[in-house]
Amino acid sequence: MAEKTASMLQAETVKANAKWRHDYQQRIPEDSTVTNRSGIDIKPLYGPDDWDSNRYMRDLGYPGQPPMTRGIYPTMYRGRTWSQRQLIGLGTPEDYNLRLRRLIEAGNSAISLIPCNSVYRGYDIDEVDPLLLGTCGTTVNTIEDMDRCFQAIDIGRISTAMNDPLPFTLLALLLAVAEKRGVSWQKITGTSNQSDYISHFVANHMFFRLALPGCRRVLVDHIAFCNDRVPNWNPLSVVGQHMQQAGATPAQAMAFTLCTAMHYVEDCLARGLDPARFLPRFTFFFDVSISFFEEIAKFRAGRRLWQEIVQQRFGVTEPRAWRFKFHAQTSGVDLTRQQPLNNIARVTVQAMAGIFGGLQSLHTDSYDEVLSSPTESAAQVAVNTQNVLREEAHLTDVIDPLGGSYYVETLTDQMEREIRSVIAHIDAAGGMFKAVETGLVQSMIGESAREFARKVESGEQVIVGVNAYQTEEDASMRQPLERPSAEGVQDQLNRLQRFKADRDRHKVDRALYELAAAADSEKVNVYSKVVDAAIACVTHGEIVACLRREYGDGVPLVEV
Amino acid sequence: MSARPRDEVEQLLERLIAGQRFALARAITLIESRAGPAPSILRSIRSAIGNARTLGLTGAPGVGKSTLINAVVREYRSRNKTVAVAAVDPSSPLSGGAVLGDRVRMGEHGGDDGVFIRSISSRGHLGGLSATTAQVVDLMDAAGWERIIVETVGAGQSQVEIAQVADVSVVVCAPGLGDDVQAMKAGILEIADVLVVNKADHPRADETYTQLVGMLDLGCGNRRSVPVLSTVATNGRGVVALVDAIEQRLPDSDSALRREHAARRIRFLIAQAAAHELKTYLSAESEAYMHELCERVARGELSVDKAARALLDAALKARD
Amino acid sequence: MAAKRPIKVLVTKIGLDGHDRGSRVVAAFLRDAGMEVVYTPPWQKIDAVVKLSLEEDVDVIGVSCLATDHLLIPKLLQALREADLKHIRVVVGGIVPDEDEKMLLDAGVSRVIHPGTALKDIATAIFDLAHEARAVDEFS
Repeated sequence: MAEKTASMLQAETVKANAKWRHDYQQRIPEDSTVTNRSGIDIKPLYGPDDWDSNRYMRDLGYPGQPPMTRGIYPTMYRGRTWSQRQLIGLGTPEDYNLRLRRLIEAGNSAISLIPCNSVYRGYDIDEVDPLLLGTCGTTVNTIEDMDRCFQAIDIGRISTAMNDPLPFTLLALLLAVAEKRGVSWQKITGTSNQSDYISHFVANHMFFRLALPGCRRVLVDHIAFCNDRVPNWNPLSVVGQHMQQAGATPAQAMAFTLCTAMHYVEDCLARGLDPARFLPRFTFFFDVSISFFEEIAKFRAGRRLWQEIVQQRFGVTEPRAWRFKFHAQTSGVDLTRQQPLNNIARVTVQAMAGIFGGLQSLHTDSYDEVLSSPTESAAQVAVNTQNVLREEAHLTDVIDPLGGSYYVETLTDQMEREIRSVIAHIDAAGGMFKAVETGLVQSMIGESAREFARKVESGEQVIVGVNAYQTEEDASMRQPLERPSAEGVQDQLNRLQRFKADRDRHKVDRALYELAAAADSEKVNVYSKVVDAAIACVTHGEIVACLRREYGDGVPLVEV
Repeated sequence: MSARPRDEVEQLLERLIAGQRFALARAITLIESRAGPAPSILRSIRSAIGNARTLGLTGAPGVGKSTLINAVVREYRSRNKTVAVAAVDPSSPLSGGAVLGDRVRMGEHGGDDGVFIRSISSRGHLGGLSATTAQVVDLMDAAGWERIIVETVGAGQSQVEIAQVADVSVVVCAPGLGDDVQAMKAGILEIADVLVVNKADHPRADETYTQLVGMLDLGCGNRRSVPVLSTVATNGRGVVALVDAIEQRLPDSDSALRREHAARRIRFLIAQAAAHELKTYLSAESEAYMHELCERVARGELSVDKAARALLDAALKARD
Repeated sequence: MAAKRPIKVLVTKIGLDGHDRGSRVVAAFLRDAGMEVVYTPPWQKIDAVVKLSLEEDVDVIGVSCLATDHLLIPKLLQALREADLKHIRVVVGGIVPDEDEKMLLDAGVSRVIHPGTALKDIATAIFDLAHEARAVDEFS
């Protein structure tokens, strides 16, 4: 009886499907091809032919269980909402401290520290044109600066994400402050963002400070040091964001990120580190574009693949090592200068894609980022976008709410196949390190960037306000800019000069000597010497310069 | 441009020989674009050349060539030699455009007046070496630069051409780039005066080194002793020894070897100019005749060799 | 005769920012439009840009700016004048706030190109400026 019903239902489905096909073709005889950014053709309708719920246990399973498609924790946002981690960092350490205190009073404990571009390039403030100082991040060069950043704040009770490329001088300065204040390093929590040198070599060149062999050595030393001495710190965040921003398709970005992570795992294993210890501290960082369903599928497929890679490729059985913890930032590339308020709508859609994709932490861009560094009022809108999505739209009520959607599941499978094929390509080229050394990844990204530019240029991809729906705009409506005062900058320069004059020169020289010696020797952990140098009042710029001398300056490989 | 007053060209030449940088830059532009005054410029500088020494540096993409050149330039600067670099980049056969990106690695000499770097697009020249590279080298020589480095990418013909232009040819390879050492056997080892294994800190560097030495022993570079040197361009290791080796192999100013090099270069220039003339004729005026020859070869009335000779004769007649 | 010589453009970035997707896409487009493009990575020093422009004999310099690196542009123009390279045209592309755009044009920048400008319009602008540069230059 039951069997008969099933086959009858089946026949009904086939009939209904055929009728729909007929009706659709009658109305749209020549359907246009729709292709997503990763090159996957999108059909007008998905159904049981595309995704069969009998595959539920194999492809989806339950949250917190392999293959992790539906999320890495059993509770997801029901247990704890995602961290709202906005980037902050503007002007002097005092400016930063004021903003930070306001955030902490408002109940935030997950904070970030974004340094000035001069810091990113590895310089102290007295090494660059003063016109550029403090305009896009905080100027932190010394233990004294770091102390001021966290004035009257218990650094043992906050979690700090630091944009701190190799050789991780900011963490070293933070640890130096902790030591000075008597705070145990066990209590220091947070993440070394921008620790993924491959992504810097390939895409975000600003953060690339040391030549590749030096990067390779310092990163593994950093991971080993943190695992041992700062065990609650995440020493590595593997970054897909830069590559996608530079033009990689979402599938490529995910594939390159997974390949990069595999390269780091291999380097850590070669050093003899324990994967059950270092892997749970790996984190990821992605761009979320406005290609809504594609992004959701990208995250779900990536999470599933990482679980498989860790368990099968590396044979790690510790379930905590399978967790694909990631932070996402809404993509600035999608934002437009034209009609900037439209960017609020874009950011909202991007944020939703990230949330449905199962992120652990989210940054939403300010709508004015294409005009200049974000103003405070625009940053407020960005934060409230997240609040609205959580509190008013109730996006956190259900775990993986799009799971089981024929379209989303099919697309997740297709994205997974696409990602696998890119991974196979990189594997065949000898792995990620080799593929970036020879420029293979760079030229793949460049090609995708040009292809996207071509679609926009031809009008195939509409961008509202740019190649369609343009309006005359009144530029006077735009907000005036906030820039640090020239006196503030001069004060800080004077302070750095005094700091350098007052410190114990002998200690500084010895710390630099030991740092250089460690760089040259296999036996000493270089990163432990970076931390010692920070404690000995060596400045950020001096540490980077020393390692640049030892390892060579970081020159990214640029393929046009 | 051909109507340019003579004294303007003369002025440019005076300024070039006096070492004015922009005069050299503009003269190179004129030569590269085969502008009207180009032949007279080249004739006039003849008497001012012969003091520079030229080294060719070649190797496959990814061996770290540009970084190495950077380091070699730095070493020469510390020896108080002025250095001009001509970096040859391929141009797109489709648009004729080019991205001259090898500048990428040369940032550090940006403030140094003792260094002159010019990128040259190959502008469709088959060999990979720009048709005018040898002439650019002569201009740099006339402008008083003491060492001239010609950098080329790619494989095969360009590296053989570089030997015609350079006093010393340096061939760079690196470990971990697959089968490039094997592929190199073909032409490069024969023209190399110095072989370099860059990225010598790479775990497989020893392997590459051994392979190269093995190939030399087998007689691939059987002319005279070709040293195999190891460098790490990113931190400068081995670069002093490399520059020493290059300098040792540079001919003295009035040696027989130097005269031989000079004669060889002029011969190369003449051959290149002839090839250019022929190419111009073939692309512009000979379409109908070429068509006829094709038909006759296809019908079996004429051999390919005979057709070629007939074409050459026609080209020469057209010149007269 | 001048038309025979391809237009030569320097595409570069000065200051501290390192985001070069825009400059790479533009460089590739100009190449495909038949120009010779000298491309540099970010963080060029002003004296290096001047020296490079001189040695390469470029017609136009395109500087891509994000963050606040455009604040250095007036210094670049001053340095070009001092090096007697007045004929070279300078365009700035990227994120430039409105109040600074006027400052740049007053300082002698030929064009400020904002995000969202069609690539073919950028190429046309550079083509026109290169011809302008050659017209005023005694030796071309």
